[in-house]
Amino acid sequence: MVDMVIVPATRGQLGVLPGHVATIAELKPGIMSVHDGNGVTKYFVSSGFAFVHANSFADLIAVEAVPLDRIDACLVWKGLPEFTQKLKSASTDLEKAEVQIGVDVHSALNSP
Amino acid sequence: MAMAALRREGRRFAPSSPPPLLDASALLIEHHVPFGARSISTQVVRNRMKSVKNIQKITKAMKMVAASKLRAIQIRAENSRGLWQPFIALLGDTPSIDVKKNVIVTVSSDKGLCGGINSTSVRLSKGLHKLNSGPDKEPKYVVVGEKAKVQLIRDSRKHIHLTISELTKIPLNYTQVSVLADDIIKNVEFDALKIVFNKFHSVVSFIPTVSTVLSPEVVEREVESGSGKLGELDSYEIEGGSTRGETLQNLAEFQFSCVMFNAVLENACSEMGARMSAMDSSSRNAGEVLDRLTLTYNRTRQAAITTELTEIISGASALEG
Repeated sequence: MVDMVIVPATRGQLGVLPGHVATIAELKPGIMSVHDGNGVTKYFVSSGFAFVHANSFADLIAVEAVPLDRIDACLVWKGLPEFTQKLKSASTDLEKAEVQIGVDVHSALNSP
Repeated sequence: MAMAALRREGRRFAPSSPPPLLDASALLIEHHVPFGARSISTQVVRNRMKSVKNIQKITKAMKMVAASKLRAIQIRAENSRGLWQPFIALLGDTPSIDVKKNVIVTVSSDKGLCGGINSTSVRLSKGLHKLNSGPDKEPKYVVVGEKAKVQLIRDSRKHIHLTISELTKIPLNYTQVSVLADDIIKNVEFDALKIVFNKFHSVVSFIPTVSTVLSPEVVEREVESGSGKLGELDSYEIEGGSTRGETLQNLAEFQFSCVMFNAVLENACSEMGARMSAMDSSSRNAGEVLDRLTLTYNRTRQAAITTELTEIISGASALEG
């Protein structure tokens, strides 16, 4: 039983507390945090879905989920300007989409 | 005179068949012993013993290899079970749903020597096919793995839509399976996907299982009808701007890739487990055949020695006599 869970939904951060209305949310790459009485555990989620059921159970299915302490902060810091550069030089739609994903992921990782 | 008698006696032994042998070694009688050979040859038995011993060693090695691969993949399979459980919590499980376009995805292995698991999968698929056949609905097959392809192509060739093989050449990962799932969704029209695989319960027990994934249209239909788990889907708010239809579309695709991933992993586990037990019984059987052959070999050898002795002694006594 935890106090709150914050998930990165496509429209923004979604905070889920016990008693939340039943919801299906699609996720975009970002940080998910679990707030317990003692502290906060943060995970980076690549994408997926979050289901909140009426009985105050929440399921989170992600393609990849990594605890934040496993991620190297320097690489993230370097990656963001790199990808922003690439975005300017990307030509085809596919390339643009790939680079945009990289930018999103890195900026999401950079935020906390 | 005596020499002639000896020679006659010797000849009496030559063309006659070797002393009656038991069971598996009875095949040896067919082998041609050259006419006029004085001693009973143990060469045939010795060759067979060598080959059986090699078989025993090889099957024992295959069992060890399968055991080590099983250990590695079992952890992954058990962890992947959590992937599809939320979907069942949300959408429920409706294996007996009646739809027009069924697609049966049969997961099997590429290599053989793994006991009967592929045959059970194929039998289950064929049963499902018959169950779901009707006047205007013919289930189609998507076959993953060589072994099921060979069996299904014999009598259901026209129903097979797509076959995939060599899935396990590189170690399984989610990306590969999701690409595969994407391929299937793009190329096959379906209302319901039924994935047939062998679920791994323990090293000796593999249960053929069917997982059902419904297409978004069918889910929509069930939600409207308001029955069962899916009827409650209405009460869920959709976060974000997309409509329920779009969300259901993404959900169905994601669910299919998760279920496929789990199915392929579990089937690989079952394959390793079945191969372990098949190779184990094979090496035990080889050991038994080797024991019987050793007995035959010793008996033949002793008969040859006895024959030699008899000849010498009778020769000696004839000379004295």
